[in-house]
Amino acid sequence: MRRRNIKPHSKRTTIFLRSASGLSLLLLLLLLCCPSLHAESDIPVSEANIDTGVNVPAAEKQAGEDETATTPTTIAQKPSDDEYGDVIEKETGPVPTTAGKKSSDEYGDVTTEETGAAEAPQIADPIKPWNVAMYHFNDKLYFWMWKPAATGYKYAVPEEVRGIIGNFYENLKAPIRIFNNLLQGEPGYAGIELANLFINSTLGVGGFKNCAKECFGINGRYADFGQTLGKYGVGFGFYLVLPFLGPSSVRDGIGSLVDWSLRPTTYLSPDFFSVESLGLYTHERINTTSFHLGEYEMLKDAAVDPYVAMRDVYIQYRKNLIEKK
Amino acid sequence: MRKTLVGFMIFAISMVPFYAFAGAPLDAVKTNVNSVLDVLRDPKLKGESGKKVKEQRIEAAADKLFDYVELSKRTLGLNWNKFTTEQRKEFVGLFRTILMDAYIDKITAYTNEKVNFTKEMPLSETTVEVQSTVVSKSAETPVYYRVIKKGNDWKVYDVVIEGVSLVSNYRTQFREILGNNPPQALIDSLHKKVGKK
Repeated sequence: MRRRNIKPHSKRTTIFLRSASGLSLLLLLLLLCCPSLHAESDIPVSEANIDTGVNVPAAEKQAGEDETATTPTTIAQKPSDDEYGDVIEKETGPVPTTAGKKSSDEYGDVTTEETGAAEAPQIADPIKPWNVAMYHFNDKLYFWMWKPAATGYKYAVPEEVRGIIGNFYENLKAPIRIFNNLLQGEPGYAGIELANLFINSTLGVGGFKNCAKECFGINGRYADFGQTLGKYGVGFGFYLVLPFLGPSSVRDGIGSLVDWSLRPTTYLSPDFFSVESLGLYTHERINTTSFHLGEYEMLKDAAVDPYVAMRDVYIQYRKNLIEKK
Repeated sequence: MRKTLVGFMIFAISMVPFYAFAGAPLDAVKTNVNSVLDVLRDPKLKGESGKKVKEQRIEAAADKLFDYVELSKRTLGLNWNKFTTEQRKEFVGLFRTILMDAYIDKITAYTNEKVNFTKEMPLSETTVEVQSTVVSKSAETPVYYRVIKKGNDWKVYDVVIEGVSLVSNYRTQFREILGNNPPQALIDSLHKKVGKK
């Protein structure tokens, strides 16, 4: 990330490889724009949907209650039976409520339109007592173990070395990204990740240097199995806080297990979970934490209800990871 | 096929008015964010005495950047209507203090991040998303500012970091509190939080 000399050649190849996936996105866009190809309730064509990317039909149903029902001006997610009228009304006509009102009284009432029609994504939390308990467990674990360990580690190990170690672990996880990029219909990126693996393992001296990025300016694409399942339309299931690992969901928990099986370190020992692989994972985690000290504290301090805040951050983050290109 | 064409045309037409303000929102956010960064990097403001001045200047810059009323409305959603005008004002003030308290200490610690403003995306007739990337040694973080046109100014009403919206996050928390409590209960818990600092 430091010095990046982008060579035009490699950049061109990257662009070429990406254009393939770009094309598929275009096709997807075409499909979305063509309502006749969809079941009527399939796509709520709302601007809110496009702008924020946090609006799923499922969340709408769940969170819709009063907010959607009360105001007739909420055209956004309403008439799924008439997709056409919807778009025209919404996109060409001016929004009647916004302009005049607000300027006259800053503290006046609001409509759904004004507060942003998009609803925050929601997740079922049927095992909340367990989750809350695990949240507190992980919180203590952070302050009593991860934080002091990472702080000492940060003090003892120079930043450059920690960066090198981080690169090494990232390079080891290339199989996860290759496999999942392939499954997600991103063969271009799978190829790039494969190339990165070769470049970094050779020119980058066994992955210690992220040469693909630093020497050639090639950017890969993060991918995991929970995300893959999400792209296939699998929902979160429900919220699940895992001891030691933190926020997750049924889907993403299964995803982590699959990804764990793709880590080369898992095969250091015949056991699926071994002292070796778990030890290396712990080191990786401490190494990563050393770059992010203070972030968890900031998040927690800013929250009025830290448990709910943390859950929401997780959901929003994962959803974005699945919905964005 | 014709339906597809119509769809595309509507899409194309809808994009037209947005070009009217191209550039202005991005410039507005950029100027204000840069003024915060300038304060942070000011070599004269070192040490404990400098810290106080630094905080005050950042607060002033932040007040110029954010529209706290808009931010509050969007955070509360329709629950805003359940608050009396007095409660609304109290809420906005408390929320502003919470955000300041939470982030100002931390933000003063950052100095070597670089912020690149990349592009702006129209969200509606009056709102735009200004996209930026915060580049540090170890990572590149996408930070998007959602801005709304207020008079001649563009004011930030939401910040989206790595896909996580600040407003949505608080909205989820407040909704849970307001689900079975009156507005005053939320105001009380905000008071409690501010008091703890």
